[in-house]
Amino acid sequence: MAERHTRYAYKEGHAMKRKRKLAGGAKMGFLFALPAAVYMLVFIGYPMIQNLILSFKNVDVFSFAQPQNQKFIGFQNYIELFTSSNSILTKSIINTLIFTVGSIFFQFIIGFGLALLFNKKFPGCSFFRGMTMISWLLPVTVAGLLFKFMFASSGGIINQFLMALNLIDAPMEWLLKPGTAMVAIVIANIWIGIPFNMMLLITGLTTIPADIYESCSLDGANKVQTLFKITIPMIKPAIMSVLTLGFVYTFKVFDLVWVMTKGGPINSTELVSTYAYRLSFEEFQFSKGAAAANVLFLILLVVGIFYIKLINEEEESM
Amino acid sequence: MKAKKLAALALGLGTACMTVAGLGMAASAEEGKKEVVIWDYFETDAQKQMMQTLIDGFNESQDEFTASHTYVPFADYEKQLTLGIASGQLPDLVILDGCGMASFIQLGLFGDISDADINWDEYIAGPLESTMMDGKHYGIPFATNCTALYYNKDLFDAAGVAYPDENTTWDDFREMAKALTKDGVFGFGNAATNTDEGTFQCLQWLYTAGGSYTDIESGVDAYTLMQEMIEEGSWTKECVNWTQSDVNNNFMAGNIAMQQNGPWQIPGIEANAPDLNYGVTVLPKRNADAGQATSILGGENMGVVNKEDMSGAKAFLQYYDQTDVMVEAMKLYGSYPPKTEAAKDSYWTDDPIQKAFLTQIETSIPRGPSALWPSYSSAIQTGFQEVMTSAKTPEQAAADTQAAVDAIG
Repeated sequence: MAERHTRYAYKEGHAMKRKRKLAGGAKMGFLFALPAAVYMLVFIGYPMIQNLILSFKNVDVFSFAQPQNQKFIGFQNYIELFTSSNSILTKSIINTLIFTVGSIFFQFIIGFGLALLFNKKFPGCSFFRGMTMISWLLPVTVAGLLFKFMFASSGGIINQFLMALNLIDAPMEWLLKPGTAMVAIVIANIWIGIPFNMMLLITGLTTIPADIYESCSLDGANKVQTLFKITIPMIKPAIMSVLTLGFVYTFKVFDLVWVMTKGGPINSTELVSTYAYRLSFEEFQFSKGAAAANVLFLILLVVGIFYIKLINEEEESM
Repeated sequence: MKAKKLAALALGLGTACMTVAGLGMAASAEEGKKEVVIWDYFETDAQKQMMQTLIDGFNESQDEFTASHTYVPFADYEKQLTLGIASGQLPDLVILDGCGMASFIQLGLFGDISDADINWDEYIAGPLESTMMDGKHYGIPFATNCTALYYNKDLFDAAGVAYPDENTTWDDFREMAKALTKDGVFGFGNAATNTDEGTFQCLQWLYTAGGSYTDIESGVDAYTLMQEMIEEGSWTKECVNWTQSDVNNNFMAGNIAMQQNGPWQIPGIEANAPDLNYGVTVLPKRNADAGQATSILGGENMGVVNKEDMSGAKAFLQYYDQTDVMVEAMKLYGSYPPKTEAAKDSYWTDDPIQKAFLTQIETSIPRGPSALWPSYSSAIQTGFQEVMTSAKTPEQAAADTQAAVDAIG
C-alpha cells in the first residue's frame, strides 16, 4: 500500500510540474506554432471554406461574371451530381474505388514481398533496393506516357511480349476497351506505388529485434509461422500506416489517368479527381466541380480521421 | 489534397496563379510606350516566327504602343484564362481556339470593341460569328482552317486503287479503305480522343449524314459507318486514343493510307517526311446526289481582354486587319486568312493541296457557337467513343447521346 501511495504522489507531483512548465512555456509554444497555424489557415483553411461555399452556389459559365446572379442553392449541386442522367459522379466514385482497392492490394503484396527480400543481407542488396526506387522517383506524367506506349494495341511492347509467349493470338486493345483500360491504369499505378509500400515496410521490419527471431527458431517455429505470428503482428502499425496513406494517395490520383486515358474510353476510367477537373476547367461548371471535389474530400476525411485515431492508439499503447 | 488543390485553383490562389502573374509581368516596357501583352499557345518554330514577325511589324508601324507575347501551354490554356479572370492577372489580347470564345465572352473575359475601326464585312461569316455575342464584337478571327482528306499516293498505287476526289462518296470511301487495309496498314484513321480535339474531327461525319450538334439522331448513319468500318478493320480503332498529331505521325509512317487532318500538319510533313507522296482532297460526301461534305471550322480568334483601356489591343487588331499583314502571317502559320478575298492569294490557289483545303472551307461550319459548347462537346464525343468501341449499337448510342445533348440546352 505504502509503495502504491508514494507512486501516486510522485505521479501527481510530476503532473503538476508539467502543468507549471506548460503555463510558463505556453506563450513560446504558441509562438512556435504560429507560422504553421497561419499557413494552414491561409493556404488550406481559406480555400477549403471558399470551396465549400462555392459548392452551395450556382456559379457556372453564365453567372461567373455576374456576382449578382450567384445565388445559394443549398444541396442542389450535390443532388444533381448524384441523380442527373448527365452526371457520372456515381460512376466515377465506383471507378475510383476499383482503382484504389486494385492498386493497393497488389502494391502491398508485392511491396511486402520485396521488403522481406531486401531486409535480408545479400551482395548488391542496397543497389537493387535503390533501383526499385526509380518508379517512385520518375515523374508520374512520364510514367503515364511510358505505359501508354507500352499498352498500345499495335506495336506496344506488352502485346508483343504476350504474343511471343503465345498467351494471346491477336493484340489486346488495352486502352481501347472500358474493362482493360481500367486494368491498364491499375497496373501502371501498382508499378509506381510498390517502392512506397516497400520502403515503409522495410522501416517497420528493422524495428523488430533480432533476438525475437532467434528465440523463435529455438522454439522450432517454421518460416510461415514466423511470418504470421511474429513479423506481421510486430509491424502491424507500419502496415496500417501504409494501407491508409496508400488509400489517400491512390484515391486522389489525377495525372496518371489524365495522361493515359483522360478518363476514357466512354468514361470508364473517369475518377472523381478527373471528373471534378473536367467540370471546373473544361465545362466551366465551377460550383458542380467544387461539389465533386468536396465529395472526394469527404471520403478522404473519413479515411484521415481513421488514420489519426490509429496513430493516437499506437502512441497510447507505447 | 486533390480537393484542397482544386479549391485553391478554383479560387485563383496557389502557385499556378502566381506563375500567371509572373508571366503577365514578364513583358518589358519601352520608355513612354504603352504595353500590349498577347497570350498564345504557339509551339512550332514556324508559328513562333510568325508571331515575332507580326509583333515587330506592329511595333515599327506606330510609336504609341509596344507589343510582346507570352507562351502558355495549350493543355493549360483555358485553365490559366479562367484563373486569370478570378485573379485579374490577364494580358491585353488573347489568341484562342475559336470554339472556346463563346464561353469566355460569357465568362466576362472579353470587352465590347464594336467601335473599333475594323473592316468587319470582309470576314468569312462562320469565323466572325464565333467572335460575337448578341450582335457585339469581342475580337476578330485570327486564322481559319478545317480538316480534309489526306491520301498516301504510293499506297493507293500499290493497291491499284484510284485516288479519292470531290466525287468520292461514303460507299466509295469504304471500298477504298477496305482495299488498302493489308500488311499492317489501315485504310483510314482520324482523331477520336476523349476531348474536344476528338469532337472537332468526328463531328463532321454527323453533319455530313444530316445531323447537327443538337440533332444527333438525324446523323445516325455516321455512327453506323464508323462502327462497321472499325469492325471491318479498315478504320483503325486505335483512333479512340489518338490526337491529331498521333494521326499525322501514323500517316507519315505509312501506317494509315488516308487520314482526316488539317493544313497545319503540312509543314511537319515537309520537315519530317519530305519524300511522302501524298495528296489532299475534300472529305467524302454522303452519296452521289449530295453536295460537298460538311467540315468543321478550326482556327484561332483574337479576343480583347475587358479592361478600362483597350486602345492598345484595338490598335493591334487594326494592324492585323490589313489584308497584306494577315496574308503574310498566315503563309508562315500554315492556316488561311479569315477574310474571303485574302484567301484568294495565289500562294494558296496555285497549290493543289492548299486549294483542296480552301474548297473544303466553303462548306465548313463552326462548332456551336454556344457558351455551353464544352458540355455539348463532351456529350457528343462520348457518343462517338461508344460507337467506335462497339459498346452500343448506333441506334442506342444515338438515342442516348440525343438525351444527353437535350439535357444540356
